[in-house]
Amino acid sequence: MRQTEHMSIEYDTQSFLDLITRRNPDDAAWRDLRRRLDAMSDAELTDLYYRLRDACQVSEQGLVYPNIQNLHATPFEREKDRREQRPLVEQDSLSEVACWYREARDKSCVWWLENHVIARHALSSCMNCGACTALCPAAEFNEFNPRAIMSLVQEKDETSIVELLKSDTIWFCHQCGSCKTKCPRQNSPFGMISSLRQLSQLKGYHVQSIRGRQQYFARHFWGGNLWNRACTLYFRNPDPERHKDFGPRFAAYFRAKEEYLRRIGAQPDMEGHLSGRKVAPETLEELRKLWTAGGAVYFWSLIEEAAARQAAQAGMTIDEYHNHVMSEG
Amino acid sequence: MNPYHLAGRESTWQKHIKDIPVDNYFLTLSCILGSFYPASETMVPKVFDLLGLRWATTHTSHNGWSCCTAIGYHGDIMPIEATLLTVARLWALAQEAGMEVITPTCVTSFGTYCECQELLEQEPELRGRIARLLKDTCGRKLVIPRRLAHVSDVYYQHRERLAGHFQYRLIEAATGRPLRVVDHIGCHYAKLFPQRHAVGGSEYCDVLAGMVRTWGGENVDYPERRHCCGMGFRQCMIPPNRGATMASVHKKLKSMAPFKPDLIVTNCPGCQVFMDKEQWAVHEMTGEKYFIPVITYQELAGILLGWDPYEVVGIDFHTVPVEPLLDKIGIPYDREKSWHREP
Repeated sequence: MRQTEHMSIEYDTQSFLDLITRRNPDDAAWRDLRRRLDAMSDAELTDLYYRLRDACQVSEQGLVYPNIQNLHATPFEREKDRREQRPLVEQDSLSEVACWYREARDKSCVWWLENHVIARHALSSCMNCGACTALCPAAEFNEFNPRAIMSLVQEKDETSIVELLKSDTIWFCHQCGSCKTKCPRQNSPFGMISSLRQLSQLKGYHVQSIRGRQQYFARHFWGGNLWNRACTLYFRNPDPERHKDFGPRFAAYFRAKEEYLRRIGAQPDMEGHLSGRKVAPETLEELRKLWTAGGAVYFWSLIEEAAARQAAQAGMTIDEYHNHVMSEG
Repeated sequence: MNPYHLAGRESTWQKHIKDIPVDNYFLTLSCILGSFYPASETMVPKVFDLLGLRWATTHTSHNGWSCCTAIGYHGDIMPIEATLLTVARLWALAQEAGMEVITPTCVTSFGTYCECQELLEQEPELRGRIARLLKDTCGRKLVIPRRLAHVSDVYYQHRERLAGHFQYRLIEAATGRPLRVVDHIGCHYAKLFPQRHAVGGSEYCDVLAGMVRTWGGENVDYPERRHCCGMGFRQCMIPPNRGATMASVHKKLKSMAPFKPDLIVTNCPGCQVFMDKEQWAVHEMTGEKYFIPVITYQELAGILLGWDPYEVVGIDFHTVPVEPLLDKIGIPYDREKSWHREP
């Protein structure tokens, strides 16, 4: 953001740019930022974002995009995503996949188990032998028992399933698939659990548990990276301040990551096809259409709605809620 | 069939032998590897070219590759249909580039490609819907690949030819003893579809062990060899959940330490990150100092090829220093090139 001479955009003040690219939730300017974002129209906000994103500069390394580093994972980017995706999930523009999920919201959990393709594949084969639980890495360190979950869903008791969906339990699974390997019938308890997690979010039950409401962070972390960079993890994400367990050598790398990446031939926020590359806008547009058609954008809107409701009940802004759920637990 | 009969045993092994395509690879990269150990990716095209393999990738504006969305799928923000469409687009790109085999550097992508392939084979109605949506949305054609390969499969397939280019072997220079190597395969390579897609199956997966054997090292078996690293998607990436990851890594380190491994070699980008970086956290929290170098199979090949450890192999990306391993093998390096200044 400091290379203003290379930017072809106009904006009101440098201080405003500094404000919209802040991530620190304790900053006194937090609510001021929210007020100012709310005052911008959808068109103004998205236009500013893309002008900032696409401002490029020619350097010794070729064409680079210096502003991307300041935009990712900011309240500004999250707000841009919300407003950009909102029209895509309006009643008349829902894709057929999104319509299926919308109808599924109003049906019973048992209906879901019998009709969602991932749940359906895993529901009937389990014979409750417990081999999955015996070697489950998550069961070793948490109150988690995949055999008990499989037993519960096979009983098809609606009340018990709803209770499960509101609990932390389903969120402990590592999704490693160790259960599938050892199942005498090659059943997939981790697939069932993945499906239950989706059902929990579809019905809004996930916000009832600490681990479940972390999905609001996930929706913007992974979903924001996908929507804006066509990847689920961006090389600028693992800030050492939030990953102190990675040690001082990682912190040293992270401070000079662009130079490290370029040194070995990667392409941080540059044009190209190797690690760190900036995805072309045309490719991104195609992927966004696919994710809209595939129901992902509708799914994210449901996570957004549930978070907004809970944030309002707690008297938090959505930004405060975001930072609360990412550090709670 | 008498399982103790030699022919019976050989026949049993046959079902675990993977038919790895020898050429025509379409390379897709990994979000995690690119963020933490990008040299492991930038070395892959160099190795493919060194071996004279036919391969491609794509980055034209309309045909750029994307992430497979698997972290989002296993992190439960992507409906399966959205992941199927993303993967179908990648398969279409491979076909359009004239390559038959989609070849990811990421184990989670590999597992997801396998799952999508099986799901589309088993569910004709879903296959029809995905084909139609892909066509209607972006004008591409669904082609379910006949065979899938991970980049480690390619290294495994060509391990002997690759060894022909090596300047070093997995041998301790001072004593001539083979280095003791722990392999960590990655659950989504070996555990999801062990018979169809993993070299050697899940219990005795050979994809890394075969490279180690061929390249002069000694494979170490230990009780928790097959245990998950605890990466867990939402467990490692949502900070309050990281304890489960660290506990899993600690369990594995404790289990392997008595066997005195010289290094850990990994297949999966996520496992590489946490087997390496959580050693620092384990040390800080418990005082137990393992500091066993953890390197990817691409990095292992890179150092044995004699490529510059800092400028090509990128050992500066590591939390556990790799220089002690280079010393053991007798690989020279210029410490001045390191960007880390601590001893």
